[in-house]
Amino acid sequence: MLSPGAELSSESDKSADGSTDPSIEHDDISISTSPVLPHVDASEIGPANLSLSGVTKRFPLGRNDTVLALDDISLDIAPGEFVALLGPSGCGKSTVLRLLCGLEEPTGGDVRIRGCHPSELVADHRLGVAFQDHALLPWATVADNVALPFKVAGQPVDNDRVRSLLELVGIAEFAKARPKQLSGGMRQRVSIARALALRPEVLLLDEPFGALDAVTRRRMNLELQDIWSTDQITTVLVTHSVEEAVFLADRVVVMTGRPGRIQTIRTPGFERPRSPELLRSPEFHELVDELTIALDEEPA
Amino acid sequence: MSMRDRLRTMGLGAFGLLLVIVSWEVIGRNQLLGRTFPALSDVLATIVDPARRGLFQRALEATIGSALRGFVFGSIIGFAMAALGVIFPPLRAGLDRLAAVMHAVPLIALGPFLIVTLSREGTPTAIATLAVVFNVFVATSAGLRVGNPLHHDVLTVLGAGSWERFRRLELPGALPFIADGLKLAAPAAVIGAILGEWFGAPRGIGIVIVSSLQNYQIDLLWSAALLGAMLSLVAFGAFSVLERWVVGRFR
Repeated sequence: MLSPGAELSSESDKSADGSTDPSIEHDDISISTSPVLPHVDASEIGPANLSLSGVTKRFPLGRNDTVLALDDISLDIAPGEFVALLGPSGCGKSTVLRLLCGLEEPTGGDVRIRGCHPSELVADHRLGVAFQDHALLPWATVADNVALPFKVAGQPVDNDRVRSLLELVGIAEFAKARPKQLSGGMRQRVSIARALALRPEVLLLDEPFGALDAVTRRRMNLELQDIWSTDQITTVLVTHSVEEAVFLADRVVVMTGRPGRIQTIRTPGFERPRSPELLRSPEFHELVDELTIALDEEPA
Repeated sequence: MSMRDRLRTMGLGAFGLLLVIVSWEVIGRNQLLGRTFPALSDVLATIVDPARRGLFQRALEATIGSALRGFVFGSIIGFAMAALGVIFPPLRAGLDRLAAVMHAVPLIALGPFLIVTLSREGTPTAIATLAVVFNVFVATSAGLRVGNPLHHDVLTVLGAGSWERFRRLELPGALPFIADGLKLAAPAAVIGAILGEWFGAPRGIGIVIVSSLQNYQIDLLWSAALLGAMLSLVAFGAFSVLERWVVGRFR
């Protein structure tokens, strides 16, 4: 097995020469204003690149004790790439996500989005996030929840955008409903629609479908793929489902826990758009089995 | 709650009320607790007595006015203190302590002090205000802090500063708690106003109670006390309705 570092550098080469870069096939249908160029001007709207270099994270544990949650995580994510962080509970994959959205600061190393601190993207309202718990405001209607990012950003609410997002995630007829009137799957859709409201450059998803049944989850995965390929947002999905990771991602980053490290990175090079038939193909199952075994391997 | 449960609750409530009314009447009529415990019918007769109407009307107007002013001032002060602690976190510990100290001082001990420093007219409002501030401060503080940490994270990642987070998340989330605090503060305002009147306000329910006590006018004393209690209950009932609506809307 290659070391994480070696796997990484070969990956970035590949995406540079475009052999596995999904953006090639999406450029024709892309509605984003700027093409993905090697040197993106920071002021330009378009998918951003993310980088974690030598990131460690310690959490305080009692008075003089700390626990190492992440150990030397290095990962470069190309603009428009879809990366899945796969790992068992407690491996620190959610911590990686919280570092990327600036909710936590690394103890060591550097987290950059387009070369800047994540807080700069946050301050520009250019980051979308959805958590496992939908975290919708219970007093606001579905439409108002999706409009929240506009209000927080002090922008006039683009009602057409809100409506088209609700149509995109298939809950337009529930626009006036309150979250508690919806099923778990519908709430998750609202949560994702909210994350997309301001056409973010980066979409961070922390187990957004973790609480859903298998059927709903598969349907949501298909929808998410559509959304991602339409807007071409750099996306990081944290999940513990191997199938979900392999089905959706350009690269699957497998993490091990205590402390969290990158164990291996795989590239599901399946053609896009990926259809539900892929879930039944032998190649798909081969990669899923391989990653499942990788997940089970406990480092000595 | 089903219709049937609701009917049963209402039935039990009505039965309890009837029990109180009948026992009061029986005890008073037969003077089971002495001559200072009049029958309910005698107390009610005093309340509706046309000769007393002017007295009660002036007293009620004064007490309601003081309670209302105290309720409004106290709610604003209590809310502002709690909000300040959330928008400027360094102030939080100090505000908590200030509220605790204010609450620890018995309102009745402040009466003479307020008479001297404020005025006889202002004391009922001031004591009602103090009684309300603590209730509203505690309820608002608890409500503003109860928020779901994940909501907090979502707002932060959307780029909200502490003001945006306050008005989009913390304030609406706190409204059920604030409504609960107002429900408790409303009768506290009435009691505070009556207490404040004891120290020599020009008029009010509290004054009627004190003077009738000194003049051994038992029926008048009970009438004034009953009116004060009714006022308190009406205030509590009105804010209970408001609270139920707010909880349904914001939770």
